[in-house]
Amino acid sequence: MITLYGNDRSRATRNVWMLEELGVEYERDMVDHTKGEAKTESFLAINPGGKVPALRDGDVVMFESLAINLYLAMTYGKGGLWPDDAVGQAACVQWTVFSATEVEPHTVGALIELIFKPEAARDEAAAQACLARLPPVLNVLETTLSDLAFLGGDTFTAADLNVACVVNSLNMIGFDFTPYPKMTAWVKTCVARQG
Amino acid sequence: MIKIYGSFVSRATRNLWMLEELGLEYEHVSLDWAKQENRSAAYLKINPAGKVPTLEDGDATLSESLGINLYLVQKYGQGGLWPDDDAGRALCVQWSFWAAAELEPLAYGRIREFLFKKEPDRDQALIANMAERTGPLLDLMTLALDEHAYLSGETFTVADLNAACVMEYLDRSDFDLSGWPKVAAWYTNTYGRPANQKIQDQRAPIAADMMKRLQG
Ligand SMILES: N[C@@H](CCC(=O)N[C@@H](CS)C(=O)NCC(=O)O)C(=O)O
Ligand SMILES: N[C@@H](CCC(=O)N[C@@H](CS)C(=O)NCC(=O)O)C(=O)O
Repeated sequence: MITLYGNDRSRATRNVWMLEELGVEYERDMVDHTKGEAKTESFLAINPGGKVPALRDGDVVMFESLAINLYLAMTYGKGGLWPDDAVGQAACVQWTVFSATEVEPHTVGALIELIFKPEAARDEAAAQACLARLPPVLNVLETTLSDLAFLGGDTFTAADLNVACVVNSLNMIGFDFTPYPKMTAWVKTCVARQG
Repeated sequence: MIKIYGSFVSRATRNLWMLEELGLEYEHVSLDWAKQENRSAAYLKINPAGKVPTLEDGDATLSESLGINLYLVQKYGQGGLWPDDDAGRALCVQWSFWAAAELEPLAYGRIREFLFKKEPDRDQALIANMAERTGPLLDLMTLALDEHAYLSGETFTVADLNAACVMEYLDRSDFDLSGWPKVAAWYTNTYGRPANQKIQDQRAPIAADMMKRLQG
């Protein structure tokens, strides 16, 4: 049985999305990192780094949300969310790393300063600096999606899920998506799959 | 033939190292970043983000240095740098993303101060803050290395290669690893592998030139 650690106020939601797509059975352990539960001895035995999400699947124990999604897709999504061909697999790893290195630092940076921190500690200038880094990155997505329905081609794969979950977080801060019509339509299509 | 774009003073060295480990034949196209060769119309067709590195392998074209390594190892490193078992593979992916998401922002943030600024202009408070946040990451690596010789198990895999090529930024900016002896020993052993040595030897004169330009 697969166990996913982390509640819905954490990046575990992106793993829930993947698990639901794959239709595999899993249970959740709602470790609440906002209450220090990611630093308890029992959870540190799962992830000594003290962060959620983490996953256990038999003798596989791992952390890093986007890595968990790639592992799940590679293991349970062959021929679907993890395509059979090298070109499709290349797209999955490329876009997932792109999401981690080029998109998420800026989205998370803005979210922290605009909504996660207590109001008194928020730094509007720091948030704006993060948001200012996004246009060239989102333009890469816009360009790619003007030729393709999905990031890896005609079908929805792990590439789409792993980028869409990060881009979609910008909706929490009322981000202006109008300069990116193709990307916006694509995010909507992806997110709608979660039902 | 596999083609890798990006000079010896770019993240392309991460992929050159992997290509050497896998013993693959490849063509190295060294785009000069100072001359904006990565922004030419021809290159933007290959990578619309205009960044290096990019890899071409048959029909597959992809960017993102650590992603390229994960792709190469799955295609050409089965049973070697890409383990056969699910648990080993999970750890390879985990440490690669940990390097990208957790270590690189701090390690790159640090080396930027050293590369692009002269000594008196460096932001010492930022450097100290980043060093403090790097400590727990090295603690985490130490715990893994307490359990086995390498990050994903008893043998060298893509987990080690991807983590070490990011750790390189700490090394090049004289980060003091003496508080983490296991990490220091792992790094020396991993980074010093003959496949990487071959790339670093080619890089050295080019990097020295670049440093002269940057630091005057
Ligand atoms: N790069 C990691 C980030 C994990 C992370 O920062 N998780 C947060 C919640 S989403 C957490 O556990 N924070 C608690 C802490 O840092 O103490 C991933 O993608 O999984
Ligand atoms: N996350 C990317 C970063 C790529 C990147 O920023 N490359 C630098 C050189 S190492 C670059 O191409 N910079 C030139 C530019 O942005 O115009 C990766 O790991 O490949």
